[in-house]
Amino acid sequence: MTKQIEFSGVNKHYGAYHALKDIDLSIDKGSFVALVGPSGCGKSTLLRSLAGLEKITGGDISIAGEVVTTLPPRKRDVAMVFQSYALYPHMTVEENLTYSLRVHGVARAERKQAAAEVAATTGLADLLHRYPRELSGGQRQRVAMSRAIIRNPKAFLFDEPLSNLDAALRVHMRKEIRALHDRLGATSVYVTHDQIEAMTMADHVVVLRAGVIEQQGRPLDLYDKPANKFVAGFIGSPAMNFLPATVTEGGSVAIDIGNGPLSLAIAVAAPAGARVLVGIRPEHLTLTAPGEGRFDASIAFTESTGSTTFVTTATTPELMVVETGRRMVASGDRVGLSFGDASIHVFDAATERRL
Amino acid sequence: MSETFRNRLLLLVALLLAAVYLFPLYWMYITALKTGSEMFRAPPSFWPDDPQWSIFPFVFQLKGMGRFLWNSVVIASGSVALIAVLGTGAAYVLARYRNVWIDVGLFLVLMLQVLPASLMITPIFVLFTLTGILDFPRTAVILAIAAKSMPFFIVLVRATFMSVPMELEEAALVDGNSRAGAFWSIVLPLARNGILVAAILIFMQAFGEFVYSKSLIQEIELQPSSVGLNAFMGPNTNEWNRIMAFASIYVTPILATFVLLQRRIVSGLTSGALK
Repeated sequence: MTKQIEFSGVNKHYGAYHALKDIDLSIDKGSFVALVGPSGCGKSTLLRSLAGLEKITGGDISIAGEVVTTLPPRKRDVAMVFQSYALYPHMTVEENLTYSLRVHGVARAERKQAAAEVAATTGLADLLHRYPRELSGGQRQRVAMSRAIIRNPKAFLFDEPLSNLDAALRVHMRKEIRALHDRLGATSVYVTHDQIEAMTMADHVVVLRAGVIEQQGRPLDLYDKPANKFVAGFIGSPAMNFLPATVTEGGSVAIDIGNGPLSLAIAVAAPAGARVLVGIRPEHLTLTAPGEGRFDASIAFTESTGSTTFVTTATTPELMVVETGRRMVASGDRVGLSFGDASIHVFDAATERRL
Repeated sequence: MSETFRNRLLLLVALLLAAVYLFPLYWMYITALKTGSEMFRAPPSFWPDDPQWSIFPFVFQLKGMGRFLWNSVVIASGSVALIAVLGTGAAYVLARYRNVWIDVGLFLVLMLQVLPASLMITPIFVLFTLTGILDFPRTAVILAIAAKSMPFFIVLVRATFMSVPMELEEAALVDGNSRAGAFWSIVLPLARNGILVAAILIFMQAFGEFVYSKSLIQEIELQPSSVGLNAFMGPNTNEWNRIMAFASIYVTPILATFVLLQRRIVSGLTSGALK
């Protein structure tokens, strides 16, 4: 597959602050890539550097084989959807859509036709003569998307485009954006702080923290094999449980959850005496009758959403268990907890890397 | 105290204050219309017995007010044009960049605002004489007014530019426009109201400017109305009705403009002129 976008050794400094540290990332043509991480991790800076809105202080960026590091945004041929949508308030929807065509000197008749075509596919046909202030949040979002689509650019850049929408619309637009991407066969780079958006929409997820790529890969690979504790905790909801443990002779581990060491027979590739963290996702823990699981614990409280029940145990650290369906357990109950060996993740306690 | 009563009381207070504030204006108009004897009557009359409407064309002819008003318009328009072109650029830069030098620049701009015209006029006079600019007296006044009023314009317009989100400009850049193109097609139209309001305020200020015009323009043919009005008032003047007629002709156009545009001016000053 050909590479559409490549970052090689990209660095960005704001004075003394090092926002991006040696970013190497290549994005296949036609793929949907999500940049995800907590706020301040550099994901937006990376996207803005790609658009040319930030000047990088080291390394190179190329789009469709052409090095664009020093080119201004207008020569990069990318389209961007901003978090605030950035619709031009003094222009109608139609003028907003055709602004880039007008800048590039496309004839009036052609512009009108292009606007009509795009508006028809995004459901804006009746709104072409309205001003942005007369539109609802969802409609503005569509205008912002349409303005990007109309140009047929080399890449679509999304900067948290759904964060201003309400939850129901967000779920709907998630599918719509992905469907649009597939239909246009475009290359998309999508910045979000929401790991669910990243997991559900992207072909390739890049997890960033403090200007460093912590891990990248297919969404389920990140879920199944997180490279370190940060990625393990960031991907998946509710977050993974981490238990401090010590490797014992014979390769198993001893955990301590508040009532004395508890030995678990898990094969660990670490020398005896090493400090490790054992990670178990809440959805991989199951409740059993006391004594029938791998260990017993008391329940601190439960929360039910109807379809699932979140159970928190009275241990240190607390463990979160997700049970499908309704579960007749109450706080104070004693239960057994069971899990399969395959669902266990072990991380080095000092480096937090996967073992 | 009920809600309506309090509102009515406040309205009454507001009307009283407005009456006090507008009384000189009222006095100017009715004095202009009084005859010579009625003018000095005690107690004074609050409405002329026999309004002398003919005094307006008479004074206009007598004093050659067409020329004075024309000079005022030339000076005010020239100042506004110069300030709008230079000030808009300066305000944009001061709004969009953030560093130590911008802060220093802003401080110096505000410093200029503090210095009174009567203090500045001596160095300006000396400078303009030395450079020969004084040979073009109206241009000299335009330059002096521009220097004096620019800070006010910059401060107002900078606030307008700051209310235009940076993301709009970035969107225009990504959409294929240059920095200058984005400024012209996105930022400037959105800041138009703010710029217009600032320009109108500057125009009115320059239309009534006195200190620089009086000091820099010797030739009576080139003097604006403010200086003409001043020349009217000698030490032993008793032609108050004519002076007031002159003043009425001078300020009525500005007042009318302000009344017509006041809704726009007030909204432009209070809001960011956006949305």
